[in-house]
Amino acid sequence: MQEKIRLCHLYPDLLNLYGDRGNILALMRRAGLRGIDFSVEAVSIGEEFNPDRYDMIFLGGGQDAEQNILRNDFVAVKGTKIKEAVAKNKVFLCICGGFQMMGNYYEEHDGHRIECLGALDVWTVGKKNRFIGDTVYTCEILPEKNTLYGFENHSGRTYLGDGVKPLAKVLCGSGNNGEDGTEGAVYKNVYCTYSHGSFLPKNPAMTDFLIKRALEVQKGEEVVLAPLASDIEDFARKALPTCKKS
Amino acid sequence: MMNVRAGAAILAARGISRGLRLLGRGATTLPGRAAIRICPQIISLLAKDQHVIVLTGTNGKTTTTHMVSGILDSLGFVVVTNVSGANLATGIATTLVEGIRIGRRARKTGQKTIYVIEADEAAFAKVCGPLHPMVCVVTNLFRDQLDRYGELAHTQAFIAKGLDDTDAQILLNADDSLVAALERGREERVTFFGMDKESMARNIVTKAAKSALGETTADASYCSFCQTKYEYRARSFGHLGDFYCPSCGYGRSEPTFSVSYNTDINDADESDKDRKEKTPGPSDVGFPVTLTYRGESITVGLPIPGLHNFYNTVAAVAACVALGEKVREPSLSFGKVSMGVELVRPAFGRMEKIKIGSKSLCLLLVKNPVGLERALSFVSQASDADGMYLLLNSNDADGRDVSWIWDVDFESRTYPEKVFVSGERYGDMYLRLAYAGIDKDRMQARPMEDCGSLVDEALAECGDGKCLYILPNYTAMLALREILVKRYHLKDFWK
Repeated sequence: MQEKIRLCHLYPDLLNLYGDRGNILALMRRAGLRGIDFSVEAVSIGEEFNPDRYDMIFLGGGQDAEQNILRNDFVAVKGTKIKEAVAKNKVFLCICGGFQMMGNYYEEHDGHRIECLGALDVWTVGKKNRFIGDTVYTCEILPEKNTLYGFENHSGRTYLGDGVKPLAKVLCGSGNNGEDGTEGAVYKNVYCTYSHGSFLPKNPAMTDFLIKRALEVQKGEEVVLAPLASDIEDFARKALPTCKKS
Repeated sequence: MMNVRAGAAILAARGISRGLRLLGRGATTLPGRAAIRICPQIISLLAKDQHVIVLTGTNGKTTTTHMVSGILDSLGFVVVTNVSGANLATGIATTLVEGIRIGRRARKTGQKTIYVIEADEAAFAKVCGPLHPMVCVVTNLFRDQLDRYGELAHTQAFIAKGLDDTDAQILLNADDSLVAALERGREERVTFFGMDKESMARNIVTKAAKSALGETTADASYCSFCQTKYEYRARSFGHLGDFYCPSCGYGRSEPTFSVSYNTDINDADESDKDRKEKTPGPSDVGFPVTLTYRGESITVGLPIPGLHNFYNTVAAVAACVALGEKVREPSLSFGKVSMGVELVRPAFGRMEKIKIGSKSLCLLLVKNPVGLERALSFVSQASDADGMYLLLNSNDADGRDVSWIWDVDFESRTYPEKVFVSGERYGDMYLRLAYAGIDKDRMQARPMEDCGSLVDEALAECGDGKCLYILPNYTAMLALREILVKRYHLKDFWK
């Protein structure tokens, strides 16, 4: 039987900050080249989210104006179902604003607190100055090629609670908060990062890891993915900026 | 009346200009910077009592500024304009200082002087008031360098602030919901320009839907006033179209200045090569478009090709006519202005064709997702295309974040067989193209230091009579231009 992965793209019409779409292209490509049928469904405001339909859920970043439009739908309307998907070990990839909204709250720099979903124990405090620039991390959950490349652009400082692990360690850039050297978060199968845009295309090992996890949860057993060349990605990785002090 | 401080500022700016020219360098921002430091009101003092048009927006402002200048020039006016995108306060101050002498000479020959000023969207809030414009044009608001400008809503607020510091006639793009929303509270001063809605309905936008990935550039999909999702009766490109809000009823206004066309345009994949070679399309110079104003219609050949230039053309005509009405200038009638359109030539880095032996190069500056989509659409339809060369840099002026290339719909078009890639971020661009399905055997990707020799290789593979299309972003274009001038012994073709 052909393997299938169904991805739910939450609020693609609102959360689509620079290049989030590239992550889905990467999943489609590396699943497709292995003969896995990969389908994408968009679910936005006012549309039903049924966690049992999907193996993966993608939540991108958005501009403030857009995040304000969807927050109520995300927290109050779909919130219970999204938490249910987390409890069922569905694979999530949450980027930047999506990462923040999965957490407990976002405190604006004037002290005003915006309640978020609370699906994982992280919280964010907004500051005036932004962390902007190319980033390099090392990610221990990956078996090989565990150097990750990204680009961050955020004013929120995110802190991780006890049951939540960082996705990676910062080699250059600021990461979650510019203080503790952590980047992103992992809780159950929820993977979060501040790296937006072309995160997965540049990091094929991460792409493969997410595909593998999605299949494992679906089948309830360990999965070994068919080997797949990454010469194109490796060529690009060699040309990426290396750590330089900014 | 000029005060002593202003006089000193002007002298300082002129001195610096002269010095820089002696050193063989362009003088676009330093003289203005010195002038502002000596006399912070210099822009206001120099612009007062002049005829000023100010243009802003994320895409097409340089081209539109250039078109306005070209039209006015062809009608016998003397134009003072900021060239080469020197569109911050410093560049504008430099231009105004230069304008003093140009204006004086014009008076001797009995000509009138008009200032046509392009302003950066963020700078617009500060410079618009001091410029005392008679006419302001807002071309569009697309996503552009988020790390520099922040969100589109901020850009919109900057422009609103600038507009409120003047009593100028305001020309807004009717088809851009973010721009059109600036009408609220300024109704009496606003005139709309836009695309005829029947023409829009002919433009078959098929892209995005194909890949099940949703829209590629979904700026402004929700109503500016009530946050309900807009619906569209027709679209031209990006978020431009005949939009309306099903909840509060806000929607596109009928433009007073409109542009229409008669041919069906398939903006997406252009796989039918026969059709492409026979019928002129929007990628050809001289493609006929009809401009309409108060019941009068005039058909002109598109001076600079590309669907987006339909908008730039109608905006430029509207700006000239609006100024003419404001100052009661009969030579700026709609009829005369429209005839001036065909005399306009491309602005630097925008659709320039340069002959190199039996082949040519064409430079298309691309800065943001919509700009790149327009350029890709153009290249995929150009009948003489034999090679495409993309260059991507990530300096401050480009925006340091290159993730935007992933928002561009590369997937639904066909390109010339050979594709070349360079720039400081050649790895990112190569990956994007490969993920869009361009086979790696069709691509050559080299670091920025080899970008010149890659032009040689690309030209060697380009057929006689054909054209190599080069799509650089801003600093890549500046660097490449210099290399091209040296390599092929060209004159300064960007003047």
